[in-house]
Amino acid sequence: MDLSLFLNNMRDPAGVPFYPFLFQVLMVLTFAMHITMVNLVVGSTFVALLEAARKTDHSLKLAKALGRVITVSLSIAIVLGVAPLLFVQVIYDPFWYTANTMSAFYALMFLVLVTGGFYAAYGFYLGNRNSDASSFSSGWAWLALIFMLLAAVIIHMLSMEQLMPAQWKSWVITPEGSYLTDGGQFHGFSPGRFLHFILSSFAVTGVFMMLYTVYFRKRTDYDPAYLDYVARRGAGIAFAFSVVAAAAGFWWAGEIPAELGFLKNPFFVAGAVGGIALVAYLGMAHLNPEKYAAKAATAMFIVIFTMCAAREGLRMDYAAAAGYSIFDYKVNVDWPSTLLFLATFVMGLCVLCFPAMAAFRAGRAPAGEVVTIDEVHGRRAVTMLIIWFAVVAGLGIVISIKNGTLF
Amino acid sequence: MYPFWELPFFTSGIVIALIATFHILPCHLATGAFWFNVYIERKSVKEGRPELMEFIKRYSLMILVFCFVIGSLTGVGIWFAATVASPRAISGLIHNYVWGWATEWVFFLIEIAAIYVYYYTLGRIDSKSHLMLGWLYAWAAWISMVIITGILAFMLSPGKWVETGGFFDGFFNETYWPQLFTRTALMFGIAGVYAVIVASTLEDRKVRDEIVRKAAVWGIAGMAAGALFSVWYLFRIPAPARELGLEGGLPYLRTMLKAAGASYLVVLLWFVLCGLIKPQWSGRATGIVILCILFLGIGAGEGFREGIRRPYIIAQYMYGNQIIGTDLAAKGIKSEVEKYDSQGFLKNLYFRPDKTDLENPGDRLLAGRVIALHQCGNCHALDIHAKMRPLPALLANLSPESPDDIAGFLEALGDYPYMPPFSGNDEDKAAAAEYLFWIVRR
Repeated sequence: MDLSLFLNNMRDPAGVPFYPFLFQVLMVLTFAMHITMVNLVVGSTFVALLEAARKTDHSLKLAKALGRVITVSLSIAIVLGVAPLLFVQVIYDPFWYTANTMSAFYALMFLVLVTGGFYAAYGFYLGNRNSDASSFSSGWAWLALIFMLLAAVIIHMLSMEQLMPAQWKSWVITPEGSYLTDGGQFHGFSPGRFLHFILSSFAVTGVFMMLYTVYFRKRTDYDPAYLDYVARRGAGIAFAFSVVAAAAGFWWAGEIPAELGFLKNPFFVAGAVGGIALVAYLGMAHLNPEKYAAKAATAMFIVIFTMCAAREGLRMDYAAAAGYSIFDYKVNVDWPSTLLFLATFVMGLCVLCFPAMAAFRAGRAPAGEVVTIDEVHGRRAVTMLIIWFAVVAGLGIVISIKNGTLF
Repeated sequence: MYPFWELPFFTSGIVIALIATFHILPCHLATGAFWFNVYIERKSVKEGRPELMEFIKRYSLMILVFCFVIGSLTGVGIWFAATVASPRAISGLIHNYVWGWATEWVFFLIEIAAIYVYYYTLGRIDSKSHLMLGWLYAWAAWISMVIITGILAFMLSPGKWVETGGFFDGFFNETYWPQLFTRTALMFGIAGVYAVIVASTLEDRKVRDEIVRKAAVWGIAGMAAGALFSVWYLFRIPAPARELGLEGGLPYLRTMLKAAGASYLVVLLWFVLCGLIKPQWSGRATGIVILCILFLGIGAGEGFREGIRRPYIIAQYMYGNQIIGTDLAAKGIKSEVEKYDSQGFLKNLYFRPDKTDLENPGDRLLAGRVIALHQCGNCHALDIHAKMRPLPALLANLSPESPDDIAGFLEALGDYPYMPPFSGNDEDKAAAAEYLFWIVRR
């Protein structure tokens, strides 16, 4: 059996319930959101450690603030990561499952490391809430950083293994003929690609710090000097690390086999041009961080999204070289479930407006002040969920009666 | 078939079982706790009793730090564990229910936004709006249960899906409603246990006893209703599952059910004694003991639910060894058993050693091991000293005197109601039998 036949035989026989293009778009979009949050987690941990080491009043306050950012953004990153994890299994199932079973030990270790990183981050945040320069401790943050970097190495490796299907067999079957079933395969580390991700994390955190300054500038109980400090540090970190991240990106591009022709991929070209433009823009933003913060953040997300699309283009190139295309997947269109998701997605965005508004307004009020929000927004959000349930339950009862599965 | 991951002594299935059991506690707490939270907060707002908010603060932080974090990580963990242990099974589920999971993900987003904003805006926004955040989380979390229950129930009773391949035909199946009601009731029981533990840490004695009593009432109601709905569930499980689980087909399943029932009873009695009658007896230590008992009970109950699905991993569709055993015309799916029986199993494997020429006696042991791993390794360990269904020990009970005896056993596998048939031709069977005989005699 040749590789192409294996890959195509291993597609799930049920096919996909909608055209693969939609899963691909959703995968890239949700991955871009996920990786932005992951960047914020890793970058915030690193910057918190840097700030803690400076031991000034401003730097310690910033380190504490970033401690909270790490825990919240890690939660969000995990939840956002569920979607691309789901969609990759829909259209790239032979690649995903092969890499994971070959490296099962590491796939499971990834979970242990993320859990450890999470609680270490909480240890850092909760342990330093009331500490001062003499009692501030960075131990938990170091532990969190180590756990997260190891988790990043594993997930990077799992991604890389998926791009090398031609070598899979030689990893599992030894030259002596043994069949390795210990799940201990670890292959395909790409320094350029890994560094590009890690260094981008600091740049993302730098831009986040610029936004932080804009947001809290309205707070009368925040020391303007502290906010000036955060803005300056954020802009400096964003600019410096976007330069080195871009350099690592070119290193990564150099690691990709020339025969794939990836350097001509329009998404890569757009990502590379956008990345360089972003570096230039961040250089300018350095002069007045708060003025440029929102635009820099928007531009950064566009560049991240474009790079995620380029990353997907690269995967398609690798898959095509092995004789696999997602567009050859058998399609069994299931309109009811597709509409269920799309309608729920739109509803979800509407519902999310309420907690987002509550958080935004509460965060801008000085400590001790109670913000009044029109209760009707919350009532509408809850009502939408109740209606959702009523519609689905009603549908379920009708279908159950029709199919004789109710009683 | 994908490369096989073998966990020595325990089998890969135990990893899923462990993570799943760990997941049930925090996720049922995450879905149930906020209803109690909102109930107490509403009471605090309506009756003007700010002292109750101390409980809300502690309970919310515990939900956030323990159940939301562990719940979401173990949820992803089940996925990873299923991926490495039974990749074709999780693939089968995902390719039929991707939009179900994607829909559930939308509710996860609402949950995470609601719980963080709820916790961090305690005392920062007006009480009515804050209460609405609580309601938002409670509904979103429970709806995520409404969705995932459909997929879990589908694995045991796929309903009309086997004819139509339709999403909702499989989703709203025979065991969906009783399982949803059971889980919903149980979530209040679990939430009650946690509430008692948290309330017992409050300094204000009066508030503490009041909340402990209320939590106990919620817990008793949840456990009692859960017991009733469980009976409904047991009446609704398919006939083959009933034979295996309730009528002695696999006696250990009945033992697990009894263990689950016993733990249920202990928790119920604890609620009555340390919640209603003597709330001052409740405390962290007893609460944690009860939590451990609940954990064991959940493990037993979920083990029963998983066990009665045999020989399938997705009932009437995919066997436990990840081989599709049924035609599903609506989706253009053909049973793989016939293909492997006629073409051979080993020949259809991509990941197989080159030295597996079944004509060559020297290669047959290696070939037999590969075949046995794929056909048996999902449920059985291939080491005689293994702790989870050690295949050599089980086969030794049959006192085989030659590989032919084991080949005969393999031939008759499909006659056992809980075993998938051996899928492969005579050469595959002979090689597998030779290897299995070797490990029995080793």
